[in-house]
Amino acid sequence: MLEIKDLHAEVGGKEILKGINLTINPGEIHAVMGPNGAGKSTLSYVLSGRDGYEVTSGSVLYKGEDLLDMDPDERACEGVFLAFQYPVEIPGVATATFLKTALNAQKKARGEEELDAMQFLKLVREKTAELGIKDDMLKRAVNVGFSGGEKKRNEVLQMALLQPDLMLLDETDSGLDIDALKIAADGVNRLRSPERSALVITHYQRLLEYIVPDFVHVLADGQIVKSGDKSLALELEEKGYAEISAA
Amino acid sequence: MTSLTPLAQHYLDRFDEALKSLPGAGDRHVESLRRQGLDSFAALDFPTKRIEEWRFTNLAALTKAAANEAETIPAFPKIEARFSSPHEMVFINGRFSAEQSRLDDLPVGITILPVSQSLGQGSVLNFDETETRSLVSLNTAFMQDGVSLHVEDGIILEEVLTLTFRNDPSTEHGRHVRNLITLGEGASITLLERHEGTGRYFTNPVTRISLDRNARLQHYKLQQDSKAAFHLALVDCEIASGACYDNFCLSIGGQISRNEMRTTILGEEAESHLNGAYLMRGHQHCDTTTLTEHTVPLNNSSQIYKGVLDDNAHGVFQGKIHIFPDAQQVAGDQLSKALLLSDRAAVDCKPELEIYADDVKCSHGATSGELDEDALFYLQSRGIPFEQARKILIEAFLADVLDTVKHDDVRTLFETLSTAWLSGTQADEE
Repeated sequence: MLEIKDLHAEVGGKEILKGINLTINPGEIHAVMGPNGAGKSTLSYVLSGRDGYEVTSGSVLYKGEDLLDMDPDERACEGVFLAFQYPVEIPGVATATFLKTALNAQKKARGEEELDAMQFLKLVREKTAELGIKDDMLKRAVNVGFSGGEKKRNEVLQMALLQPDLMLLDETDSGLDIDALKIAADGVNRLRSPERSALVITHYQRLLEYIVPDFVHVLADGQIVKSGDKSLALELEEKGYAEISAA
Repeated sequence: MTSLTPLAQHYLDRFDEALKSLPGAGDRHVESLRRQGLDSFAALDFPTKRIEEWRFTNLAALTKAAANEAETIPAFPKIEARFSSPHEMVFINGRFSAEQSRLDDLPVGITILPVSQSLGQGSVLNFDETETRSLVSLNTAFMQDGVSLHVEDGIILEEVLTLTFRNDPSTEHGRHVRNLITLGEGASITLLERHEGTGRYFTNPVTRISLDRNARLQHYKLQQDSKAAFHLALVDCEIASGACYDNFCLSIGGQISRNEMRTTILGEEAESHLNGAYLMRGHQHCDTTTLTEHTVPLNNSSQIYKGVLDDNAHGVFQGKIHIFPDAQQVAGDQLSKALLLSDRAAVDCKPELEIYADDVKCSHGATSGELDEDALFYLQSRGIPFEQARKILIEAFLADVLDTVKHDDVRTLFETLSTAWLSGTQADEE
């Protein structure tokens, strides 16, 4: 699914990623944990193609193709989805319009038939019902005036609609209470399948109680310093990053 | 005295000749008004940047040459948008076209005439000795035609009355129309004023509006003049108690365009709303200059202007709210926002509040900025291509100001035109 080899990246001339190696196979969930400033968000932005994150060397293959060569929208249409740590507010654009535009843009790129207003409404209502999201959110401008929990729910709703193959979750737990966290995790777990993979980026072990990873990696100073199974997350929680990173 | 600009000299030189073919020829009163206008214009010349109200708009491209009459400029592709209204008055190159106008089905109580046919009837053309705006004086001297509209007390017209000013290539450079619109007590009407054309020309419409008690005028303007055109418009509106003036201007065309509007609120519970959007690219320049005067207590005004500027386009917003002494419990709000799509695009803003009463509520704000990078990336990360994402954000930027257009058909027309502009239908061919 995803093959990251010796990835180096800079932000504003400063090297943040210093040789990342990581392979994610279909169906696997990988967690990347690390202290603030380790490069966690940079990794998610590099993978989703944000401007200003410059890859200086290394490669990323996604489904056998060069991911770094694609524009952000092409990556999304190929099935990469970034759930934002801080979802962006877009005044003047209704959530329903945004969702329909995104879904149809992806369908168009894949040569599938686009949904009309009725078909879309039916689909989105199914998803909101499944996820326990109030339909009222669809009428409001994207993330404008949303609580932290509502913003994350909106991310989960987008994921449920767009059905990505590779989910990148950037600190999805930040700013969430336990109930909201469960809803977010539930949304991800519903999408788990043998074909679908996820990279869960988090500072705390808490989220991993709900989204149970197959592998856990520790990211420190731009490199993966340790990998293990889910028990590594518990170990981190107990001992702290300093000790593990030094080991 | 310093010498006149070449264009002003050109107007002066041909006045006597022009007079013979202008409406009111031979009428001593009209000719005397025109001559007073000409003298006033000759003393002032065209406005320059030395005049405070014109410091951001340079008319040199218009005034430095006498009219380039023989010059032919290829037509610009116009954004086509169908809009049908049962009542339409059409002017071609500043002159009434009976063949193209449809005014027969207007209800009783609405009198509409071309000014050329109503000059004898009183105050259509006037000369105010205190007038300091040379463009008004020029218009008085060379006025060709215009709309003379009176709506009687209590008459309400639901349908839109369209006033179309079309400019075709012609040897005549200047188009000077004078409109006089009066609404009686409780009258209500919706006007759509359209300006369009091809080639290089100078259009100088002057419109005077008077709203009697509880009258309501929705005045929508679509400025889609050719991109070689100079469009310098002036509107003066007096609003009596309980009356409401609601103006919206969508500016897309013109090489240099300016909308100068003065509203004077004369009564309690009266309202003045001046809103608009301007979409400019290439080297286009669009100036919106407003003055809202609250002369008495207990009324309100608002202004919202939004601009989208690409390439080397230049926007200007000068808005002034003037609250007279004793005009207590007045509310005045003003907002100007510009979206700059290019590093070379620029906007100048000068909001002014001049308040002489102490119990008033006023606000003003002016911002300019680029598209939100975070929002662009967010949309792209969901699979929406860059160009489409950009369009979505620009439409969202314009959404709230377009929502101030209360008439559904007109709002739809303006939305359609904005969307077409964003798609680059009106591409630059300069």
